[in-house]
Amino acid sequence: MGRPRTFDTDRAVESAAALFATHGYEGTSVDDLVTATGIHRGSLYKVFGSKRGLHLTALRNHLDHEIHPTTAVIAGLTDPEQALTTAIASYDNGPAAGLLLLAAAERAPHDREVAALVAEGVTALEDALRPSHGDAAPRLASTVLGARLRLRAGLPTASKEH
Amino acid sequence: MALISIDREHGLLTVEFQGLDKLWTLKSRLEIPLAHVRGATHDPGMAREPKGIRVGGTHFPGVITAGRFRRDGERLFWDVKNPDKAVVVELADAETYDRLVIEVDDPRATVALIERSVARG
Repeated sequence: MGRPRTFDTDRAVESAAALFATHGYEGTSVDDLVTATGIHRGSLYKVFGSKRGLHLTALRNHLDHEIHPTTAVIAGLTDPEQALTTAIASYDNGPAAGLLLLAAAERAPHDREVAALVAEGVTALEDALRPSHGDAAPRLASTVLGARLRLRAGLPTASKEH
Repeated sequence: MALISIDREHGLLTVEFQGLDKLWTLKSRLEIPLAHVRGATHDPGMAREPKGIRVGGTHFPGVITAGRFRRDGERLFWDVKNPDKAVVVELADAETYDRLVIEVDDPRATVALIERSVARG
């Protein structure tokens, strides 16, 4: 039913992801999504079911096209300092930088599906740091998340100070 | 205003229209199998969309939109006086309506209730 789908779903998800990463989930209205994606409201509902459906799709996309490729690169680094610096510079980055971090803080406490996607992203980071840091990988993953948070807030990260 | 609830025993989403809204919408309740519910969104901006053609019910622009409407080949069911509290419920193709736009007392709680009950493929 309804008009035929004449838009690029992947492009729409990318635009939505950038919006969610900038303004958060609650801070992004359907009006914002309609304007940014250029999709009719009806088509947006038809394809994604709801704003939450679109957010989950954007998170899934961010994991597949940003988080996992980045962690694959980090996993290939054996020098501990280089692995850590690369992780701080590139984890949860890209066109929707911070989408995972924001979802972890804002949505994961109330939404099990978001929590599972966030856990997948954090586990990928821990696994990527294991070749270079061994058993300290989970602790270093927390350092990376903290550093990404500081970068987002415009604060210098510890590794840049010395 | 309407009350949206989930009947887990029968696997249904029910919409019960309150007071005079039964009159405006020409319905007292809607029952939708949960398997046909695709999601719910709090969307105050929905009320600014063109309504299309009224098939049955009441439409005083800016005051009340209630009942069955058709737009771009889609079938929508509305019951909204206050757009700030409008929730959009997206339904599967098999349903009579493509989309419900319903005013509820607590949009955040209603959306959470419906989204928790929706199985995503």
